[in-house]
Amino acid sequence: MTEDILRVHDLSTRYFTQDGQVNAVSNLDLRIERGEVFGIVGESGSGKSVTARSIMDLIEPPGEITGGEIKYRNGEFAETVADEHPNAVNGEFVNLLELPPNVRQSLRGTSFSMIFQDPESSFNPTLTVGEQLAEAVEVQRRASARPRSTRARTQSEEYSLGNFLLSTVLPSQKYITEESRERAIELLELVGIPDPVERADEYPHEYSGGMLQRAMIAQALAGEPDVLVADEPTTALDVTIQAQVLDLLDELQEETGMTILLITHNLGVIARMCDRVGVMYAGEIVERGSLEDVFDEQVHPYTQGLLGSVPDLEGATRRLQPIPGNVPSLLDHEMDDRCYFADRCPKAMEDCLEHPPEFEVPGSDDHEVRCVLAEMEYAESRAVPDDHFSETSRTAADKHADPDRTEDDVQPQRAEQPVDDSGGDRL
Amino acid sequence: MTMGKFLIRRLLQGIFVIWGVITIMFGLRAVSPGDPATLMLGEGATQELIEHVREQEGLNEPIYVQYFDYLQGMVVGDFGYSWISNREVEAMVIERIPATVELAVAATVVAIVIAIPLGVISATRRNESADYGATLFSLLGISTPNFWLGLMLILILGVWAGIFPTGRRPVGFAEAVMTLVQHGSLYDLGIWLQYITLPALTLGTYFTALITRLTRSGMVDELGKPYVTASRAKGLPSVLVRYKHVLRNTMIPIITVLGLQMGTLLGGAVITETVFNWPGLGLRLIDALNARDWPLMQGIVVFIAIAFVSINIIVDSLYTYLNPQVREE
Repeated sequence: MTEDILRVHDLSTRYFTQDGQVNAVSNLDLRIERGEVFGIVGESGSGKSVTARSIMDLIEPPGEITGGEIKYRNGEFAETVADEHPNAVNGEFVNLLELPPNVRQSLRGTSFSMIFQDPESSFNPTLTVGEQLAEAVEVQRRASARPRSTRARTQSEEYSLGNFLLSTVLPSQKYITEESRERAIELLELVGIPDPVERADEYPHEYSGGMLQRAMIAQALAGEPDVLVADEPTTALDVTIQAQVLDLLDELQEETGMTILLITHNLGVIARMCDRVGVMYAGEIVERGSLEDVFDEQVHPYTQGLLGSVPDLEGATRRLQPIPGNVPSLLDHEMDDRCYFADRCPKAMEDCLEHPPEFEVPGSDDHEVRCVLAEMEYAESRAVPDDHFSETSRTAADKHADPDRTEDDVQPQRAEQPVDDSGGDRL
Repeated sequence: MTMGKFLIRRLLQGIFVIWGVITIMFGLRAVSPGDPATLMLGEGATQELIEHVREQEGLNEPIYVQYFDYLQGMVVGDFGYSWISNREVEAMVIERIPATVELAVAATVVAIVIAIPLGVISATRRNESADYGATLFSLLGISTPNFWLGLMLILILGVWAGIFPTGRRPVGFAEAVMTLVQHGSLYDLGIWLQYITLPALTLGTYFTALITRLTRSGMVDELGKPYVTASRAKGLPSVLVRYKHVLRNTMIPIITVLGLQMGTLLGGAVITETVFNWPGLGLRLIDALNARDWPLMQGIVVFIAIAFVSINIIVDSLYTYLNPQVREE
């Protein structure tokens, strides 16, 4: 079965900070098929997590989704919302960004759920793990008990402040029922936690990191979601535990057939888990394709750089090839309209000074790359001079001090200071 | 550490603190000028009579003997007699406790009822006008002195507007409740409420302001934590995220402050009680101080110390209940 479950089109998420507008995600396109594991890989600050949170509707001020579509395929859900939000529905697809927040909230836990990087801080330290799992079960239980009209779904059944205040005196008003507690224990057992009955009554700090990550997976599965977003699920764990958690995810995916969007900076995890991969850089996907396309036939120098930074046992004597420099700041006013990687790219050419579109890579039907090298060979003669980018960023910095100063004024100054240690600006 | 061990340790610490207070009070009295016997008997007593009283009260004994006698009395709950009214100190302290406790509780209720919703609104609508309003309010509340606020409230709401009565209250809470039970009449309770409103507002304003700030900053802190995002991600209704998770965790430090504040209020409402002529311990302490009535002063101070220490122990136990991480250690 290879129908798309999620189509993200032209998604932009921006943060409006005091330093200026940060383009955390820019015009991102993404297509995820039902039942696959799609990986997003990239350095810290490349916009991976923001992409995940945009899909989950967890972006908080000063962040904002400023444009695009997130289309989710679910025929039943499309029918449910069709009456009240006809603009959002297109066949079986529903554009989530056209829906009001309360309807989107009703999807969380039941259609989409998420596991986070740091299990220890992702559980409330003052409630038992069992209670927190039971909450997730209850979300699902109440959602499936709701009538099909969206208005009733999201308003009349909403648990209100009044209910909550009453629950402090009336047990019958409590959000969590005994059934959901029992289900929580079953879920703990499902993810391989020993003595789940006792463990359910323990607090997060009594769990080990690996156990807690299992519990978080259990919590995410409580709503039997269509899509599980896993944001760096193994980063905070020991290597041996990492493998266990990945095995668990694998097993559960096979059993339930859910779709996983896996976000990580770890290429090993990608290679182990994913069917298709997107490589993210500076808020956009720069290369995407099947696992083989990206790992064996990669075109983008950034992908090559990422793969070159991974230690490998066979070539242990070979020196690692780190990518020089840092991910750009993503501040809108500092981003030129060029290939964002060009300043760190060993193969930057004059053609890279224009922002490249996505090119299809010949030889595979699903391999696309945002790099001119897909269409042309690298030519030394067209290479950008080494100091091109340090130059422009320098003038940009100086312009702050004196807007009237031209590049010519800057030139002599540079001659006096031949050593440029600014690192990130250099090739 | 188990709960029992924890309590025993805290109790022993508390006893040590109270012993310290008793000793310091005794020391202050020993070095303060003035002859107790003269004070007790007033002007014009004969030298013979004064000498008789000195002998009877043990004032001619060496200082350490006096200290141990005094300590012994304290241990069995004998605080001595007031030098001025010649009544038992315990009785004089105990009869004033209800009014002080009523005022302390009322002020705390004012603080909780106003401050926590205000702090929550402030935290969840950060940098909106409601937030600025709450911030301004708490700034004013923290910086307004009690005696001035009390006088202004009496003047404006009591004298000019005539909404609230001024002067000594005619009826205490216990009597008001008795009226309700015996005659089914709410009349006395109404009177009681009228009289306690202004003092409670005066005493509560500072703490309202303080707790508003604490709630706001605590909640802003908590809202930024990953578990909040995780709770939202699992689809939990926002009411539960906000109150069951975030506010509950915010309350942990606030409970501590509230508890300590109760301790302060029990002994420290001196100014408010004086301004409103409120028949509580604070007013009696001032009276005792003016008359240099040492046994009464000692009795009140020791009582305040005991109240403070007990409340601290209760707060710590509550804290342990609310925060499972402390429970383990």
